[in-house]
Amino acid sequence: MNVRRWSALTKRELLKISRNPAAIVTSLMLPILYLVLFGQGFSGFTSQLNSLAPSQRAAELGTLVLGAPDYYSYFAAGMVGFVGVTATLFVGANVIFDKLFGTLKRTAATPATATDIFGARLVAGSVQPVALAFLVLGLAILLGHLGLSGLNITASVGVVGAAEVVVAILILSLMFASLFLALGFTIEQPQTYFAVVNAINLPVLLTSAALYPWGSMPSWLQSVASYNPVTLAVEVIRINFFGDTFYPHPAWFYLLGLIGWAVGMFAIATLLVQRALAPKT
Amino acid sequence: MPDAIVAESLSKTFNGSVKAVDQVSFTVREGEIYGFLGPNGAGKTTTLSMLTAVLGPSGGRATVDGVDVLRHPHELKQRIGLVFQESTADQDLTGRENLELAAALFGVPLRETPARVDELLHRLALADSAERLVKTYSGGMRRRLELAVGIIHSPRVLFLDEPTLGLDPQGRAGFWQVITQLRKDTGMTVFLTTHYLEEADGMCDRIAIIDHGKIVATGTPSELKDRLGGDVVTVRPLGKADALEPALKALPGVNSVAVQDGSFRVKCPSGDVLIPKIVGTATSLGISLAGVSLRRPSLDEVFLEFTGREYREDEGPSATDRAVFMTRFQNARRGRR
Repeated sequence: MNVRRWSALTKRELLKISRNPAAIVTSLMLPILYLVLFGQGFSGFTSQLNSLAPSQRAAELGTLVLGAPDYYSYFAAGMVGFVGVTATLFVGANVIFDKLFGTLKRTAATPATATDIFGARLVAGSVQPVALAFLVLGLAILLGHLGLSGLNITASVGVVGAAEVVVAILILSLMFASLFLALGFTIEQPQTYFAVVNAINLPVLLTSAALYPWGSMPSWLQSVASYNPVTLAVEVIRINFFGDTFYPHPAWFYLLGLIGWAVGMFAIATLLVQRALAPKT
Repeated sequence: MPDAIVAESLSKTFNGSVKAVDQVSFTVREGEIYGFLGPNGAGKTTTLSMLTAVLGPSGGRATVDGVDVLRHPHELKQRIGLVFQESTADQDLTGRENLELAAALFGVPLRETPARVDELLHRLALADSAERLVKTYSGGMRRRLELAVGIIHSPRVLFLDEPTLGLDPQGRAGFWQVITQLRKDTGMTVFLTTHYLEEADGMCDRIAIIDHGKIVATGTPSELKDRLGGDVVTVRPLGKADALEPALKALPGVNSVAVQDGSFRVKCPSGDVLIPKIVGTATSLGISLAGVSLRRPSLDEVFLEFTGREYREDEGPSATDRAVFMTRFQNARRGRR
């Protein structure tokens, strides 16, 4: 990879993102609606446990939301996984529009390699979901201070813990950006792309522990969710925010699983992008 | 003069059976403007795409500036400039940002980039709109920006794919003025595809006419026109006129007579001298004429000669557009001298 080409292409992508305020507002709307409406609507889910004795309540919360102080806190950490998926899907759509407008053809006619082009879009495409993830966490904490249900971090997050959270968010965004970029480079029509993306992101989110309380999931869904990359990422966050008492493994174990997913997806995406940008035979 | 482009039996087949380009061979000399002329779907863009490593050939080989296009596509892209027929600049970036991006991708040294970008913006009359987003540019400005992006790295060979498609006559004349000057300044080789006959005639040192994926004629514009054997007089009789053909052939100064759609195409060195004789001959035979027209040798005639059909009007600009373009182009040339 050529650093100058890669950084020039990354700058281009970031300039394009910054010049599209409508897309920024739209991408903000979905997580805000979930935090303010969906999360608040379900925030009473664990309030019935308030009448229990503290030890009994802690045990129940451990089973139901894996040691989080309430459902909203559990959900708010899960929302990071949610935005990791939903905010990256536009990176692939942008590739398709660049194909339709001829911009990608122009870039492919230069000495820029597939790695330069893919690498730039991958990094630029991960900036938005990473920023959005931290915004979600910040807003969730703020809501708690405004008299609404909010994110209540009960564990003390040290430097290593904070680093694990940041790395989990980053790796999750890179993994899904790789997936959606591979689709964008492979698919020609926007309508096909969005149909495929919907067929992927809903099952991925609905088979993860991002939004469901763990204890309310049937065992078969828990088994499926255990391997889901979204679950792996939010488990790293939840362990660091609420403690690891109710988890069978430490945070780094889930982080390794997530890295494995990301490396696999990156390798597949690299191959597909190289094939898409090679001279047509 | 060494060859800048060498194509040997270059072929492209789509879906296993559709031959878009069929065993095409030609050479382009260094510093030449070489035109690839033909109707839509003739194989012009497919040939250009193979020469620029956008498309892999199904057969044959080609070198551009000594680089094998199939084996070393990356090295090739460093040496060539490519101007597509559609606008490919990023519309969400300014003109300057597009050029800076292209400079980085082509490896123009960082220290030289600002001066090179400014030079091109001035040369292509884009300096005043350099900080505007490309989405606000007119068609002519976008074409000029495409050219600037294509030459940012001072390529040794420039490929132009229908570069003036959709431009008004003034825009086209201005575009070619820049190309002519660039060639003069840098000695760059230019490979051009076009279906504007008068562009090929006025701009190219040599031309290849391609039809149905095969090259049917090559040469300088004047060589090709000379092959027609001079002027063409078309005689349209009223009704049946079988006796006219041998009579026309017998006239002094007539090179050949061909019958086409009930008309006679008479080739001769000097049509204006021959027309009174043709009219006299027809009158003496009692044949009434619906019309007689004289066409000086032109690429339209060359095209008809080598492909067997008229150059279709919908494949080129209107006659008015062509006349306006040629007048402005010639004026621009005169003005430079």
